[in-house]
Amino acid sequence: MRQQAVIGESGVREFLGRIVERTRVMAPVRRGKTAFDFQWVEDPGEIELTYPRTVLPPKKALLPPRETLLEFRAGPEPTSSPVVEDEPFALLGVHPCDLKAVALLDWAMGRRHEVADPHYLARRRAATIVGVDCLPDEYCFCTSVGSNDTREGADVFLTPIGGDYLVEVLTAKGEALIEGGTGLRKPTGAELAAAESFPQEKARRMTARIDADWRDLPCLLDAHYDSEIWERTAERCYSCGTCTNVCPTCFCFDVNDTVNLPLVTGTRRRRYDSCQFLDFALVAGPHNFRPDRVDRVRHRWFRKFVYLLGEHGMPFCVGCGRCSQACTAGISLTDVINAVIAEAKKGTAV
Amino acid sequence: MTTAPERLPAQEGTGLYVPEAATIVRTRDLTPRDKVFVVELPGRRNLGHTPGQFVQVSVFGFGEAPISVCSPPEKKAAFDLCIRRLGGVTGALHALGPGDKVGIRGPFGNGFPIESMKHRDVLIVAGGIGLAPVRSVIDSVFLNRGDYGRLIVLYGTGTPEDILFPAELEAWQLEEGNEILVTVDEPNSEWKGRVGVITTLFSEVKIDPVNTVVAALVGPPVMYRFVLMELEALGIPEEQIFFSLERRMKCGVGKCGHCQIEDQYVCMDGPVFSGTQIKKLHESI
Repeated sequence: MRQQAVIGESGVREFLGRIVERTRVMAPVRRGKTAFDFQWVEDPGEIELTYPRTVLPPKKALLPPRETLLEFRAGPEPTSSPVVEDEPFALLGVHPCDLKAVALLDWAMGRRHEVADPHYLARRRAATIVGVDCLPDEYCFCTSVGSNDTREGADVFLTPIGGDYLVEVLTAKGEALIEGGTGLRKPTGAELAAAESFPQEKARRMTARIDADWRDLPCLLDAHYDSEIWERTAERCYSCGTCTNVCPTCFCFDVNDTVNLPLVTGTRRRRYDSCQFLDFALVAGPHNFRPDRVDRVRHRWFRKFVYLLGEHGMPFCVGCGRCSQACTAGISLTDVINAVIAEAKKGTAV
Repeated sequence: MTTAPERLPAQEGTGLYVPEAATIVRTRDLTPRDKVFVVELPGRRNLGHTPGQFVQVSVFGFGEAPISVCSPPEKKAAFDLCIRRLGGVTGALHALGPGDKVGIRGPFGNGFPIESMKHRDVLIVAGGIGLAPVRSVIDSVFLNRGDYGRLIVLYGTGTPEDILFPAELEAWQLEEGNEILVTVDEPNSEWKGRVGVITTLFSEVKIDPVNTVVAALVGPPVMYRFVLMELEALGIPEEQIFFSLERRMKCGVGKCGHCQIEDQYVCMDGPVFSGTQIKKLHESI
């Protein structure tokens, strides 16, 4: 860590205002009565540092729901050029679970298979990330997946102390972002102690949980590949794709061409896709490798807690609670996984 | 504590999804819906593929489709793609002819373990358009004939009209040490050959299970299951059996997620998988 400081409650707006003056800022803002979402902000007064969760995760700043990969010219001599966004920006107010998710995306889009996606990488390298710690609501379970107390990927991290914040500057990028900031003062011993105890308070208030160590989930789920729980969950699921759309670690995409009139130039674009959609694993034939809803439902849990966990070492779920809150059928990720765990425990008892 | 720039790789270029403009130099109709395109990269550069690898073929305005290279690596100045007209991209490709440009990215995937086939018998099992990708293996064996043992090709299609590369099948048959067996599901009045599904061919050939390596691409997943059963019944060890799998692919570089089978991405870890791997993966076939 490079330095620690405290910003008082009355100075927070000015502190954020200086960042907004200095660079493009994406931060959580209130949307309607109960929702929050990451948006580009010009008015620092809009920024909400205390919020339960945003509808879409901050992933949208790095891997947007829709983006242009190429601009092309069709015809006898076709040409194309990549569209890569590398304009610097600050991503403010990112919770630890979402920081962890960005770290997982850094691996998936940056290092996995030893291929770096240039579009993701350019945005990611252009981002300065300011994390902020938070207290859970009834959907949060970050303590069960090891993402409750991380600063991974953050350049600056804020911990609430009453209305004040402990500001930890973690990188040179972070230092540059807050350079010349007014209202920062040296933390007292009591303030440091308060910040230190914040994660324990957070953990204490956590109500949702996974009833097993996440390290045991690959074996546990594998042993229950044919469990009826998947069938019962599939009976409720609408295959709407909301869960994957709001997930901070999902990164699957579809690519399509769009042609401008008069059909000479156009763009090749990608947009989020979902393994829950019927045509996701469809090939010519036609043959579908996950034709039944139960195949697609099970795939989501296995991808998060078996396949990618096995490859990366951490679950590809950060316990943000978005999928459980947003599910149109009211399916809870933790309820499903806990049902499998309960079934396993029952099996062992017999 | 790690920081973002250290964890992230360096930005090396922006061209991952940019296709290279290649030129179609010749086309040849094989059937009303299957066509071979002979393609040259700029400067007649070598594609540098191994048999079983694929390229992403682009027609701007229509999109990209993964297509296996069906010529051997020994053919360097140009490469062949056999394309069945099925959807938007392949339909657009069929409208193109000599002199027209297509976008190429790749080659991608692992390909068949051609080195492990040397000094052994090579058994090719192909169904329908599956003959195209394994044609690169067959031709490579031909061009280095002394390096390999027997070459046995078992090929099945729907009807006689669907047979790809009929002249080549005959040419392959003429050479000593080769056995080329073709069967169709539904004969027409002129068909004098075998009738039946591909698995009926296995009883017609003598195979030395210990010394045979298998490359197979047989179409619908259910056929893979039957072919795997037949190969195992012949006593061929599962680690000597290699299946090339078909999946939907959008990126070809291990990102888009469409081709994943459990923890395997077909575009990066495949498309060729051993019998051992296939049996472990629930959704492979």
